[in-house]
Amino acid sequence: MEEKIGVYVCECGPNIAEKVDIERVLAAVSSIEGVAVAERYKLLCSEEGKKFLKENIEKHGLTHLVVAACSPKQHELTFMNVCEEAGLNPYLFQLANIREQCAWIIEDKDEATEKAIRYVRAAISRVRYHIPLEKKEIEANPDVLVIGAGVAGIEASLLLASRARKVYLVERESSIGGKVKGFAQLFPRMESASALLEPKIKQVVENKNIELMTESEVEQLLGFFGNFVVTVRKKGGEERELNVGAVVVATGLQEFDVSGLPQYGYGKVDNVYTAGEFERMNSPDGPTQGKVLLKDGRAPRSVAIIHCVGRQEKGYCSRVCCLYSLKLAQYLKSKIPEVQVCQFYSDLCLPGKPYQRFYEETKGKGVDFIRAEKVEISEGEGGVAVNYSSESGRLEVRNFDMVILATAMEPAHGSAKLAEILNIGRGVEGFFIEEHEKLGPVSTSLEGIYIAGCAQGPKGISESIVQAEAAAGKILASLVPGRKLEPEVKVSEISEAFCIGCKTCISVCAYNAITFDELRRISVVNEVLCRGCGNCAAACPSGAARHRHFTFRQIYHELMETLR
Amino acid sequence: MEEDFMPRIIGFLCKWCTYAGADLAGVSRIQYPPSILPIRVMCSSRVDPLFVISSFLRGADAVLVAGCHPGDCHYQRGNYYTRRRYAVLRKIFEELGLEADRLRLSWISASEGRRFADVITDYTERIKKKGPNPVKKEVFL
Ligand code: FES
Repeated sequence: MEEKIGVYVCECGPNIAEKVDIERVLAAVSSIEGVAVAERYKLLCSEEGKKFLKENIEKHGLTHLVVAACSPKQHELTFMNVCEEAGLNPYLFQLANIREQCAWIIEDKDEATEKAIRYVRAAISRVRYHIPLEKKEIEANPDVLVIGAGVAGIEASLLLASRARKVYLVERESSIGGKVKGFAQLFPRMESASALLEPKIKQVVENKNIELMTESEVEQLLGFFGNFVVTVRKKGGEERELNVGAVVVATGLQEFDVSGLPQYGYGKVDNVYTAGEFERMNSPDGPTQGKVLLKDGRAPRSVAIIHCVGRQEKGYCSRVCCLYSLKLAQYLKSKIPEVQVCQFYSDLCLPGKPYQRFYEETKGKGVDFIRAEKVEISEGEGGVAVNYSSESGRLEVRNFDMVILATAMEPAHGSAKLAEILNIGRGVEGFFIEEHEKLGPVSTSLEGIYIAGCAQGPKGISESIVQAEAAAGKILASLVPGRKLEPEVKVSEISEAFCIGCKTCISVCAYNAITFDELRRISVVNEVLCRGCGNCAAACPSGAARHRHFTFRQIYHELMETLR
Repeated sequence: MEEDFMPRIIGFLCKWCTYAGADLAGVSRIQYPPSILPIRVMCSSRVDPLFVISSFLRGADAVLVAGCHPGDCHYQRGNYYTRRRYAVLRKIFEELGLEADRLRLSWISASEGRRFADVITDYTERIKKKGPNPVKKEVFL
């Protein structure tokens, strides 16, 4: 078919008309081969403007459209829709930005006009090589798999279920509630943990949209966003296959094992506990029915709480240890009012609204704070000795009846294996890593898999809930029952004929969107997973990887004409 | 050098950050030299080194590759690849005796309209001092 390119220059009111000599632009491009019409219009994005464009496409039987106007950010979609209405494939269109990057930045009208001509010529040259692209639609399953039934997993499940999504909540333990279940009270308001948790657990159990699978673990995940197939195995029992559209990973964390740090005397010196153990001792359904006792059955008269145990080794601040250390001090003070509590800290981490007050409140109850470095715990005279270097650098020793170690947090065991099964990344600390700290804080590198709560990094309950709600919200917004998914159209493809099977593309793809077909010895792009960055097209040594709508030819011709 | 020499600088700008930053410079009506000729790509990692070389052979006086700040690429790690390819490209330029200072890599975010204009102004001044790309005359196309 004969090429008929229509070129339309928008005056954009006075915005472009005053800065660019539009007549000169039209004269410069109207004689270019293939250009059937070149005209100006006062405001192409207005209703009349769009009508004018549509009629022109039809009237002239245009095969390609170039509009010289504002930034693609403003109206690329507007004009693509016009094309569609006029029966022209919207990808046979190119927008030349002669406003933001021309009229508005150049004082001199001659210079601006020359630059505008260059832009329009380049757009004409590029549009010739455009290839019609078709929108794709795929069926999507709105059901969701939630892994881990701690506060984050529970919250996400409840929110998803409230919008009539079927949720499979998989938990490897026999009961749900996660770490919070073991807590008596919660900082900073010291309210009862069960008062928060029990109603939620009840809601989960009673909710018909939530299928709870305890003592179960995920063994395999196949497929992609909208269409995952998951294998879940019940302990010692049967395997089940689930079809879901999205996954929330909320597997939480665990206490770092301090027995590897001999300086803390853990396991060797009596009456040295980790914070988790102390929490259990304090719990009404713990081994001592909630009584805080020393090994010999007496109540302690003095307790030291050591902060930052394992921070150096782990290489990060676990964020909640300072706060739960304050909580433990409050437990102690309320159970044994005359007990002397001393916190050995190196830096206090009290971010956020309520925590400064929580600290002052705790201090006000008669809790001492000592800034200390190089803390070592040893057998002392009639108790436990805390050896430390004080703020002035002096070595000091103090004796206590009991020592509690505020240990660092690390990812729940099994995280590495799960990351492999799900094909999502972990950071150097071992926690699952978000797609982007700011732009995708609960997404992962695999579309449709989200992370929430402490699986992403140590955090408090309120932040865990925020993330759970965010993950659920993302899923609710993207997977709507009955609605099909429209994957990105401008994705990559790999030519079977040119691919030499070097797998370079696979190594640069951030989305695991490319796999290797062993049979044909070539790389294959999964068009649903591909986000269309074009990295593989730049990396491919044989020219087999093509980035649709940003092909080598298209960019090359735009470039050559720009420089002519 | 010639007084009125206005260099032609090809700018490969990623859609999410630098292209948007350039738009912002326009919206803020910050004036800068017309030297820059933008080519919009989805991510700076789309910039095939061949595009850069072709630009020079076609007579560009300089090339700018610009994208999101490290860590801010909308495709996670794209700009790290860009950075590596850029380093290799500079090496190749040096090896071949081409002027590597006609290449520039910049990270400019969507909110840095002022910085975009400053980078272009500064780069243009430098290239003006250097004069036109000699390759233009030497290579037969
Ligand atoms: S999207 Fe801007 S550099 Fe990758």
